[in-house]
Amino acid sequence: MLDILYVEDNPNDADIFSRLIRKMDRPITYTVINSGSEAVDYLAGQGRYSTQSNELPKLVLMDLNLNGLSGFEVIQQARSIDRTRFVPIVAFSTSDSPHDIQSAYKAGVNAYVVKPGSYQATGSVIGKLCDFWLENNARIDHR
Amino acid sequence: MSLLTVDLTNCDREPIHILGHIQSHGYLIAIQPDTYSIVHASENIVDLVNTPASQLVGQSVNALLANTDLAENVLVELLNVGKRNDSWETMNPHRFTLNGKVWNLIIHQHQELLLLEWEPTGDDRNAVMNQQLIAQALTEVQASRTLSDLLQNTAQRIKTIIGYDRVMVYRFSADWHGHVVAEAKDDHLEPFLGLHYPASDIPRQARELYKINLVRLIANVDSTPSPILSDPDWSEDQPLDLTHSVLRAVSPVHIEYLKNMGVQASMSISLLYRGELWGLISCHNTTPRFVDFQARQTAKFVSQLLSAALEFRKDEEDKTNLLQYTQIGQRLHEQLLLGDDVARALTKSSVTALDVTEATGAALLFNDKVYRLGETPDESALRSLAVWLGTTDIETFLQTNQLPARYSPAEHFREVGAGILAIALSKELNEYLIWFKPEQVQQVTWAGNPNKPVTVDNDGQQRLTPRKSFDAWTEIVRNTSESWNEAEIGSVVKLREDILQVITKQANEVRLLNQRLQVAYEELDAFSYTVSHDLRTPLSSIRCYSEIIQEEYGQEFNEDARELFQKITESTERMQRLIRHILYYSRMGRTDYSIQPIEMKPLLQNIREELLIANKDRSVRIDIGDTPSITGDPTMIHQVFSNLLSNSAKYTQRAPEAVIQVNGQQTDDEVVYSVVDNGIGFDMKHAGKMFDLFKRLENAREFEGTGVGLAIVKRIINRHQGKIWFHSEPNRGTTFTLSFPVTTH
Repeated sequence: MLDILYVEDNPNDADIFSRLIRKMDRPITYTVINSGSEAVDYLAGQGRYSTQSNELPKLVLMDLNLNGLSGFEVIQQARSIDRTRFVPIVAFSTSDSPHDIQSAYKAGVNAYVVKPGSYQATGSVIGKLCDFWLENNARIDHR
Repeated sequence: MSLLTVDLTNCDREPIHILGHIQSHGYLIAIQPDTYSIVHASENIVDLVNTPASQLVGQSVNALLANTDLAENVLVELLNVGKRNDSWETMNPHRFTLNGKVWNLIIHQHQELLLLEWEPTGDDRNAVMNQQLIAQALTEVQASRTLSDLLQNTAQRIKTIIGYDRVMVYRFSADWHGHVVAEAKDDHLEPFLGLHYPASDIPRQARELYKINLVRLIANVDSTPSPILSDPDWSEDQPLDLTHSVLRAVSPVHIEYLKNMGVQASMSISLLYRGELWGLISCHNTTPRFVDFQARQTAKFVSQLLSAALEFRKDEEDKTNLLQYTQIGQRLHEQLLLGDDVARALTKSSVTALDVTEATGAALLFNDKVYRLGETPDESALRSLAVWLGTTDIETFLQTNQLPARYSPAEHFREVGAGILAIALSKELNEYLIWFKPEQVQQVTWAGNPNKPVTVDNDGQQRLTPRKSFDAWTEIVRNTSESWNEAEIGSVVKLREDILQVITKQANEVRLLNQRLQVAYEELDAFSYTVSHDLRTPLSSIRCYSEIIQEEYGQEFNEDARELFQKITESTERMQRLIRHILYYSRMGRTDYSIQPIEMKPLLQNIREELLIANKDRSVRIDIGDTPSITGDPTMIHQVFSNLLSNSAKYTQRAPEAVIQVNGQQTDDEVVYSVVDNGIGFDMKHAGKMFDLFKRLENAREFEGTGVGLAIVKRIINRHQGKIWFHSEPNRGTTFTLSFPVTTH
């Protein structure tokens, strides 16, 4: 059972994320995918993910500014597939531009969180996200 | 036909070239050129050949001489010679002695028929004198005499040749009314020199005929015209065309006109200028008088010399003008190309737009400004005139020497501009260059009242008769300037091209600049994004890792190392904030914004709550007074008040109790808000750069800040066409006042 799929192509951010999860000392499972196209493969269960019976995560944490296929495009594609139409996706981006925020909601995110830019603050945000999306949120996307 | 519609233009419809009669001083037959069979014969031919016309039509031309002293085949032999030479012109006139009398035979071919006309001969002794007159005329034309001398002497010369008692040179105006410009007459006659004749006196198709047949003679207005009989087999819908006939009878209307003038014989010779009728030499005699072929030819030749002189002189005159205008036009073009200021090049340089015509004033309406040169109407009259021009069909230019007739307000400035020549620079923007010529009050003396050229018969007959009174009738012509000549129009049309070329070039430059600006903006967008992401991301990493080091290895550091790491964290934090503010600032200038009425109370309460939470460890009071709504972009307006109130909260940190008051006030055309605090204040003397990016006042240094907040506020206010000002004294608090127009575009 996968808790979080984190799509992030910046290794530092991925590393900081791992450190924070570890520090939280909670049994949270996560996978980090570092490209948009691979994220689409994972969510659609295609490409190298077609043979594995990979379960959908409870939360997709989506960086938007990815090289190649952007986060917005990944979200759009995910929303066009039956399997992932209702999977919870939270945009997690450095950008606080209203334009990006609007585009993300139009593409179909469930929430938008601006990366706080500090270790302490990021830890606090990740903690809240886990509390809510892994524990409080009621889902309809998994059968 | 109602009386109201009756005028002499009815003459325009009279078919004068096929009247079916000839004048009775001569005789006419028309024959087939191949068979020589007679198709038409004038009824009076019986007087010449003793055989009635009715017995001649349909017969061979031999029948013509059957009852004369000449052999029957004389005419045929003559015709054969003419046919072999393929020219009748050189044979004319042929001396033709018949029954002891000498006649001039004049032959011409027209519309598949040969026309043979016999008319009396004149006195041979005149021939020598006429030769001398021609020589004189030639000499005179070659010498550069004035035009009026040339006209006067030509009139005198024609009078000598044909012996009539009055010879006038008649010049047509643009509206085809005529004007007597030279006259030679017997002393006892009343002078007609200077008189004007209405255009209806010489109808349109008569003028057309005058261009083809240059000389017409009416030998006796009282003689009875002789009808033309036709071969019964000849189709009736092909009447004999007398266009080139020397005997052609005259329209009864014209005969009556001459009789009313007391004229018994008349001759006219056309004066052509560039193929158009320039005028007539009109000759009158109070008794019947025939002018023989040679004399007519001489008169025609002298007139043609005059025509050639006209053409030559007018060309010279035009060329001189044109050359002068071309040179001035060239200088103007250079001035236009030299600078980027069109108005300056046309109105404020050594050569101006006024110099390209004979105008006495010129006005340029350009870029919403009016530039005047010389004598022109005043500025408001010019602006109204430009508006009127927009309603006309002006595309390139418009010219008139009678502006008030088309645009009645022009009567008020007729002294400076009864005539205008205008070129359109932009009809959409009401941009024109207009030249003015002043009113020339003219006294025109008409031969009879030109408005009453028609009299109607007593018996109620609808047939018109030309006027009977030729008593001079004087009219004052107002609202008219000198007319614009071809050289003037040519030069302004060329100038228009030059101006438009420069304007287009400038417009293209602006467009190019716009494109470059667009590209620059897009680059700035990309740059902003780079700042926002690519710069922020590594900065966040630096900060996170220094925090991690502090957290995980902090206890292994000594005090000094811990402090250094703390400085790294703080510096990155400041840099992050700076980047965020710069992004706000640039975003406020560029993002699209949506205008709507904004409920101010919830917006302000929202900001108050945020501030109270952020400052919960000290005593802050935020009072919200009246909150009239503002029309604007909600996000931006929120930003404005958020920045101002945050500033107030920040600079009241040292006050025992911070008090911030926000109050709005609505007037008819603006909404004014004030934000008052009891903070540290500032010296107004140093507040000049208050709203500049990154500028902070000296006493603000001890407080956190990037120097961007008020720049953002100013930028948003500008985008809303609002105003912001302030009042402060050190340690006496600060008041910011903002005004928003009630309707924002």
